[in-house]
Amino acid sequence: MKRLVPFVVLALVIAATAAITSIGLMDVLTGTGWAYAVEFLGRALPLDFPPMDEVLALSARTLSIAGTATLLSVLISVPLATLAAHNTTPHKAARTTSRAVIAVARALPDVILAIVFFRVFGLGATAGVLAMGLHSVGMVGKLYADALEQTDPGPATAVRATGATRTQTLLAAVIPQATPAFIATALHRFDINLRVSVLLGFVGVDGLGLATATALRRLDYQRGLALAVVILALCVLLELVSGLLRRAALSTRRGWGLTGALFAGLATVAMLIGADLSLGDGLGRLGATAELFWPPIAPTGVFADLLATVRMALAATALGALLAVPLGVLAARNVLPRAGGVFRAFIVLVRGIPELVLAIVLVVITGIGEAAGTLALAVGAAGLLGKLIADSVEEVDPRIEEAVRATGAGRWQVFCAATLPQAAQAMTGHLLYQLDVNVRAATLLGLVGAGGVGFVLLNSARVLEFGAVTTVLTLLLGVVLLIELLALWLRRAAA
Amino acid sequence: MSVIRFDAVGVRFGADSALDDVSFSIGAGEIVALVGMSGSGKSTLLRQVDALHLPSTGRVTVLDTDTTSAGGRELRALRRRVGFVFQQFHLVGRLSVLENACTGALGRIRGPRLGRVSYPKAVRAQAMAHLERVGLADRAAQRADTLSGGQQQRVAVARALMQDPEILLADEPVASLDPETAVQIMALLREIAEERRLTVLCSLHQVELALSWADRIVGLRAGRIVLDTPATGLGRDEVMAVYSQVGPTLAPIR
Ligand SMILES: Nc1ncnc2c1ncn2[C@@H]1O[C@H](COP(=O)(O)OP(=O)(O)O)[C@@H](O)[C@H]1O
Ligand SMILES: [Mg+2]
Repeated sequence: MKRLVPFVVLALVIAATAAITSIGLMDVLTGTGWAYAVEFLGRALPLDFPPMDEVLALSARTLSIAGTATLLSVLISVPLATLAAHNTTPHKAARTTSRAVIAVARALPDVILAIVFFRVFGLGATAGVLAMGLHSVGMVGKLYADALEQTDPGPATAVRATGATRTQTLLAAVIPQATPAFIATALHRFDINLRVSVLLGFVGVDGLGLATATALRRLDYQRGLALAVVILALCVLLELVSGLLRRAALSTRRGWGLTGALFAGLATVAMLIGADLSLGDGLGRLGATAELFWPPIAPTGVFADLLATVRMALAATALGALLAVPLGVLAARNVLPRAGGVFRAFIVLVRGIPELVLAIVLVVITGIGEAAGTLALAVGAAGLLGKLIADSVEEVDPRIEEAVRATGAGRWQVFCAATLPQAAQAMTGHLLYQLDVNVRAATLLGLVGAGGVGFVLLNSARVLEFGAVTTVLTLLLGVVLLIELLALWLRRAAA
Repeated sequence: MSVIRFDAVGVRFGADSALDDVSFSIGAGEIVALVGMSGSGKSTLLRQVDALHLPSTGRVTVLDTDTTSAGGRELRALRRRVGFVFQQFHLVGRLSVLENACTGALGRIRGPRLGRVSYPKAVRAQAMAHLERVGLADRAAQRADTLSGGQQQRVAVARALMQDPEILLADEPVASLDPETAVQIMALLREIAEERRLTVLCSLHQVELALSWADRIVGLRAGRIVLDTPATGLGRDEVMAVYSQVGPTLAPIR
């Protein structure tokens, strides 16, 4: 099995190269894309911002929807993760079931959930909140379970030794250790949901995204691009605020507990008011709606569209990796202790660019769907991958590095002999994870005009051919499963 | 009257035997040191006493409770009466010293607790008193991970005192501390044991410390008891024989 690894890796590299060349990336930067962009900008400038109160109302709506969705995912994830972590749940069946629920939540794309829930609950915030909230459990639940499993078992043993029950031990010794990770994950997901909610605006989720989509549909580019700028500002703002909160949650100072709780409480109330949820008589319609999605129908050319989405994801991952691997290595503290700061700062900067917003702008500006989508995704991939790679390089066993350094080896000799071999497996894992993330993101980009299965989804929702949604869902699940199996196989084979 | 009693106890992890045919008993108020090489089974033995792990064969009886036949509720009731101090202190670093001490009361107050104010006032007052006893009252509001190792171990002792225990177990409580702090902590444990007439079983790997501190020495080698004798009049070399890889079966087993 091990002998097959190089061939599989080679096949992946060839596929990625083919994907990059076939997408016609250069057209975006030169030629037709450029000419189109110049003409487009002529029509989009000057930007036409809506009145200030409307901007604020739209922003509040978007933040409320993304925030409530995140809150929902946290409320579901805490008990689910507790049931899924081996140190908090001794029953294997309960663990397996909860892990499976988390995996299913992750596998169900939020676009598709949104399309379904719109059918059930109608327009408004409810469908968006439920779609993003449930899908987020796939990430939040998984990371929460990991955070629980990574706690030091010592305090739990000590508290159990005082005669405490399982629940008491969980609350007194395990949850407090995981709280900073819980908060950081929630903030991270809030960030993602904010960006996703904008894209879901193209299928009807209320807020800035819907306003942008409406403007673009009217061919009112001056308004559409102005709203994109507002979204960008909102993303940057949230990034700053969540950075502050993350640091506060991790700080060794005491006294944040009460202030933090008060702040969180107020924010929650504001969010719930802003989201203005109502289930209506939607639950009663659930059965009738489900029937609409059966039997699946295959729209013409759906396989070509699937191929386009996968191609986008593959090319974006490869391009992102080309940038992220050297960047991540240079940013790792154990490679360049001092000079690495520059690269770390650069990664943070790239990560701050909301790739999904970038995609809207690029797709709209250049009019060249697939290539523009790839470029936007690649930027996003570079940011996330850069960080993951830096982390995996920093997590190697320093004693082995020290042993090699003690032989008189230079910095890069140590890197090649001790650091890279230790980090290689984690790096491969991250690359495949990014591919998986990109398949989902590429689907979303289809909504804004990057082509692929996202476009099929948008279209079938519009012409009420819901059977096609089922087909796309099945195909996507197949692709994601394939990637997961590949990752699993590589991990096994390389171990 | 024995407070802790092992009858032919065996503990296996898969094919490995961590304890093998271990029998002994400890009477009320005895202060016993458990010595042996690392891997000899000291931690495993201590965990049996608090029913954190149950024997594969044989029987462990602690305070008249047979751990092999007791149910979950009975085991928790037993653990409440047995304090346990660990080598790595095992405090929740992010929580305050006071809240860490309060967790020692969980066995007798009902329901889960999260946060200092979720504990009854009386419990908090008691925790303050115990922190006072171990000399850390002025650190109560501080995060536990800002304390030195010796201070953290004092908090762990305060947490154990919150249980108002009858037995105190300690697993190499000073192995992570510098020699001077180690002596202070051991003195504190001895004082508290005498004040409260506790039965104490403490694993140690410093032989001199064990000899000067305990009333009785029990030696383990490869999961078997190879020494069990009063500490008075015992020479260092006799104890060191426990640490030899091979060697004669050691003479005095009481
Ligand atoms: N949870 C466990 N799983 C498997 N083996 C264990 C476990 N706990 C202890 N052991 C084994 O039992 C033996 C005794 O370990 P331990 O009681 O920790 O010794 P000591 O505390 O004297 O160093 C060792 O061989 C150890 O590897
Ligand atoms: Mg031990």
